[in-house]
Amino acid sequence: MPIRKDRRNKKKGKGSKYSKLSLFQKPGVKFFKPCPLSGKNAPIVDYKNIKLLKKYISESGRILPSRITSVSQGKQRELSSAIKRARLLALI
Amino acid sequence: MTCYEHTFIAKSDLTESKNEKLIEKYENIITKNQGKIIKTENWGLKNLSHKIKSNKKGFYFHIKFEGVGKTVEELEKEENIDETLFRFLTIKVKKHQLETNSIEKTSKK
Repeated sequence: MPIRKDRRNKKKGKGSKYSKLSLFQKPGVKFFKPCPLSGKNAPIVDYKNIKLLKKYISESGRILPSRITSVSQGKQRELSSAIKRARLLALI
Repeated sequence: MTCYEHTFIAKSDLTESKNEKLIEKYENIITKNQGKIIKTENWGLKNLSHKIKSNKKGFYFHIKFEGVGKTVEELEKEENIDETLFRFLTIKVKKHQLETNSIEKTSKK
């Protein structure tokens, strides 16, 4: 029984805070960045908020992937629809 | 009743008095079709980020209202015919944010 408990506590995969990026990385170094758009005091994602949206598009106007910006899955979906609305109104 | 936000862009060769008439016209259409206006905003003349039907600038108007499906239907039907407008967008929102003007009006030079 004690062996099973140990296994359960170990985290594996992408969601883990200590997931490794390379083999030669020191153990215990954090690579996890929290989502900047969720949590308390987070800005509201809206097609009128151009200042915020401009952070998440590249110079040529393409939407940046969440693996670079570390935006959560749900917020990325909101963000992409907001950017497309702003494009339609020629705000971005 | 559902909350809607509506934005439309008019051609840049309009005068101020015509602008007010445009807003009044569409406000009337909303109120006639079971709608209720909550707030209207005038964002002023803005540069477009890209050309739309060979327009480089446009007057932006923003209306926040409550209504039913028929309200939006009638409003968009009317706007499709109107030649002074070249783009509009209606979206559904859960709740209206009424604290500040979402986009500041650009001052005239």
